Amino acid sequence: GKWKNKERVLIFSSRGINFRTRHLMQDLRTLMPHSKADTKMDRKDQLFVINEVCEMKNCNKCIFFEAKKKQDLYLWLSNTPQGPSAKFLVQNVHTLAELKMTGNCLRGSRPLLSFDPAFDKEPHYALLKELFIQIFSTPQYHPKSQPFVDHVFTFTITDERIWFRNYQIIEEDASLVEIGPRFVLNLIKIFQGSFGGPTLYENPHYQSPNMHRRMIRLSVAAKFREKQQVKEVQMIKKKESKVLVGEDPTEVVFETPAEEKPVEIQLVKPESKPIVKDKKKPRKIQRKKQKKLFRTE
Amino acid sequence: EGLKCCLSEFQKQLAWVERLDVTLGQVADPISQSASDKDAVDPENDFQREMSFYRQAQAAVLEALPKLRKLQVPTRRPDDYFAEMAKSDQQMQKIRKKLKSKQEAMEKSEKAKQLRAMRKYGKKVQTEILQRRQKEKKNMLNAVKKYQKGLSDKLDFLDEDQTLSQGNKKGNANQRIKKGPNAKRRYKNQKFGFGGKKKGSKWNTKESFNDVSSFQSKVAHNKGPRKAGKGGKKALNKRPGKRARQKMKSRAR
Repeated sequence: GKWKNKERVLIFSSRGINFRTRHLMQDLRTLMPHSKADTKMDRKDQLFVINEVCEMKNCNKCIFFEAKKKQDLYLWLSNTPQGPSAKFLVQNVHTLAELKMTGNCLRGSRPLLSFDPAFDKEPHYALLKELFIQIFSTPQYHPKSQPFVDHVFTFTITDERIWFRNYQIIEEDASLVEIGPRFVLNLIKIFQGSFGGPTLYENPHYQSPNMHRRMIRLSVAAKFREKQQVKEVQMIKKKESKVLVGEDPTEVVFETPAEEKPVEIQLVKPESKPIVKDKKKPRKIQRKKQKKLFRTE
Repeated sequence: EGLKCCLSEFQKQLAWVERLDVTLGQVADPISQSASDKDAVDPENDFQREMSFYRQAQAAVLEALPKLRKLQVPTRRPDDYFAEMAKSDQQMQKIRKKLKSKQEAMEKSEKAKQLRAMRKYGKKVQTEILQRRQKEKKNMLNAVKKYQKGLSDKLDFLDEDQTLSQGNKKGNANQRIKKGPNAKRRYKNQKFGFGGKKKGSKWNTKESFNDVSSFQSKVAHNKGPRKAGKGGKKALNKRPGKRARQKMKSRAR
């Protein structure tokens, strides 16, 4: 057949990504035969330069990995000429090379895309779904593609995030094994234009990683401060002048003084009592033996 | 909101074959309490979460495969179709090795556990076996001694697995004469054996007085065939009784 659906995706990244991100990028490139690679982009350039890069490479979609602070990874998905774009925070990245992912698929085979029903419920999710479909599905009769359908990408919405999994279809009765990379996308914003333009949607549940770290630090500090405050309160309480309780006139009622004993002055040492051996109590040596036995048991 | 709607329409309208997308919930799981309620899935519970993803994928596959078959898109790779895979053969080898080593480690630990349990049990069994063997040995020796002492002329003890109690019960008439508490005497014999307790063997009790087992009439009346030696032995063997001796004395006087 003829290859009609001319989709080309440009997959590249900025500088400063770590090994895991690099592997993820490479994995995506192997899984998507309709993708093209490009060199790392300098951070100095503005984002809309990417549009020009895409045009040069004759691509109409783009996946751009952006790493900040060597810690946070952001992902841009965009339809380059005019279309919408979305920015995500990527978490929980596991690559193809992990030994727990035991499945395998043909290189360049077309994937089946499976979406959560929640994607149809919200308009922003519907938009994202369309974007995912256009980017991730391999066009039919693409020259580098294999005609078989032997793996499935799943996109699920849980905990306000989008979870991505890739499974290999082993049997016709739908027994699956996980192949491929897995990651979690946390939507930040959807823009009308490609890498810019007015904001269409902003995720209210999104908390930037900086904020997240700040919250953690604040909570720790708050705990410490609370302890300090409690200590201060205690100190103040101690220093307070103690209230004197007035004398109780009825206190004397229960006093019964004892009879006075005559004062005896002992001049002679008292007789020492005869030592009566307590035969029931085992002697010291025997007791020691008993202790030893007890210990060895 | 309106902008979003317009934009989503801006997206392409393609045949399903091009897109291959399925939007479905999970396969109805008989085990899960709420099949359709996805919110029940706790995102922190890793296993539950992954299972929900798995089931979603399964549902999608089950729906899509018939459609693909209708559209004549192949889903199964023929055996002779060799093509490059997403993961290299080396990688798959590594994976297989890891799985194998994991399984082996598990089996080893299982074996070790079993061995430990067996050792405990085995020790008990071993002691029991040793005790049994000692008992058998003792019984055998007793039987041999009895035979040697002439109490039982059966060589049944050579046949294996014959109990001593049987021998006692079916015993000869000689044995039956042992009166008194048979069980007690038998037990004491069993416990101390022959050649064991000697102190109480020559008591002048009712049993020993009434015991005429060592009386041999042929010897007493000097009637039986002589075994070895005559002459000197005769005088020693045959000592006349008291009355006979008195008579001889009075006659002699």
